[in-house]
Amino acid sequence: MRFNLGFFLSEAFKNIRLNLLMSITAVTTTFICILVFGVGLLVSSHVEGIIGSVREDVSVEVFMPGRGEEEVMALEEKANGWEEVASVDRISEEQALAAFKDTFREQPELYENLDRGVLPPSLQIQLTDPDMADEVAGKLKAEGFTEENLSYPQQTIQRLNSVTSYMIWGLYAATVLFLIASVLLISNAIRLSIFARRKEIEVMKLVGASDSFVRTPFVLEGLIQGLLGAGLAALTVVWLNFLFVDWSQEALTFVPISGTSVSTASVLLVLVVVGVAIGVGGSFLSVTRFLRKI
Amino acid sequence: MIRFSNVTKVYGKDTVALERLNLEIDAGEFVFLVGASGSGKSTMVRLILKEMEPSAGAIFVNGTRLSSVPRRRIPRLRRDIGCVFQDFKLLPNKTAAENVAYAMEVTGQRRRVIQTKVPQILDLVGLSGKMDKFPEMLSGGEQQRVSIARAFVSQPPILVADEPTGNLDPNTSVGIMQLLHRINRTGTTVVVATHDREMVDVMRKRVVALEEGRIVRDKVKGAYADEV
Repeated sequence: MRFNLGFFLSEAFKNIRLNLLMSITAVTTTFICILVFGVGLLVSSHVEGIIGSVREDVSVEVFMPGRGEEEVMALEEKANGWEEVASVDRISEEQALAAFKDTFREQPELYENLDRGVLPPSLQIQLTDPDMADEVAGKLKAEGFTEENLSYPQQTIQRLNSVTSYMIWGLYAATVLFLIASVLLISNAIRLSIFARRKEIEVMKLVGASDSFVRTPFVLEGLIQGLLGAGLAALTVVWLNFLFVDWSQEALTFVPISGTSVSTASVLLVLVVVGVAIGVGGSFLSVTRFLRKI
Repeated sequence: MIRFSNVTKVYGKDTVALERLNLEIDAGEFVFLVGASGSGKSTMVRLILKEMEPSAGAIFVNGTRLSSVPRRRIPRLRRDIGCVFQDFKLLPNKTAAENVAYAMEVTGQRRRVIQTKVPQILDLVGLSGKMDKFPEMLSGGEQQRVSIARAFVSQPPILVADEPTGNLDPNTSVGIMQLLHRINRTGTTVVVATHDREMVDVMRKRVVALEEGRIVRDKVKGAYADEV
């Protein structure tokens, strides 16, 4: 049998127009669900972006309180000879204080009474490979430094991981729960609209319409509604992301949030695909279940 | 054309609608199924349309044993059986013409065929001026004409009607019956379940009388009740 797309499309649009309130409900439900899902996706990708940028920080910092300048320079030379090391920067007490002052320039009371010498000199060792941080730390410990003298990404990551892994899993769980709730809500909205038209479906079957003939307009309807709701939600999510990145770059200068950790195109795509899948799947399942009963 | 062979239908546990019923209807016949409410007329109609299965026995339509028709083949079966109901069963959101066209759309007919055939059939049932009216804007008799047009537009070999005049006044009923008679003259087998005594007596067709699920009388050119 020939597939008459024109007929099915005009049936779907007519159904949407005639059941406008029901259609608005379905579109709104999809919009809200996809919006919350999208915001969850945004938050988790930003958190992952922050962790990722910390991981990329491949430096080991060694603080050398009470050591003279010669000692610092000797270690610098030694470290430069290690194969894991890309480069070494020496930070004197004065430079450390200057950097501290610069960081807290808004709160001068913090450094008003600080003398040079309170902040120790340090070496910032850039590594060729971030995985080598443990080994370099080991070599530094062999030079007589303790764990407290060292600051390197493995520590940060371990600390970050213990805090954020729970957070991220919590977020994912919440997102998945919400997605399930959306599927239930949306398929319920579709089920209601089908139930309102059960008599029509029965008549269609009586005049010899096949299941797929009855189902196709409903599925197209779900597709249009899903596309509309999810499309609007996806655009809103992308807009919110721009607002958030803009705001964070001024208000959260310490946090490495970047606009690049979220790919606009893929967020749009994922959200629209999920929305359409829910719309199509929901109406397909609801009609099929109903058709089996008659 | 239609054959009931030892058909029993029991609803629930012990409500017997049909009991060991045998009936044969030949091609081109016009048959009234008469009897009081609950005598089994509607059950027979629903069994012919395979809306449900008999508890025992077999039903043959057009040579096909209905119990051997799988679920997904039912639509094809129904396209060979036009059906008309007491409550018209029109699609409320479609005009008279669209309702008739729907029965052709389901069979995958070309748009051009549909556009020429629908006005012809609506003209035949006397509704050429009301093609674009929705069911709620039509009278009961007009709605029933639309539903007959829809049942007949694909020229099925069989047309079954369940109380087609049940909701109509006597004058309108005569028109509907005349329409069914005309359809029968084109060679279509027509089965009408009714308790419209007047109509049956006027038409003088084969009458099968049912009582509590059994055939109590089967008479060619019969009347609603036994003639003395």
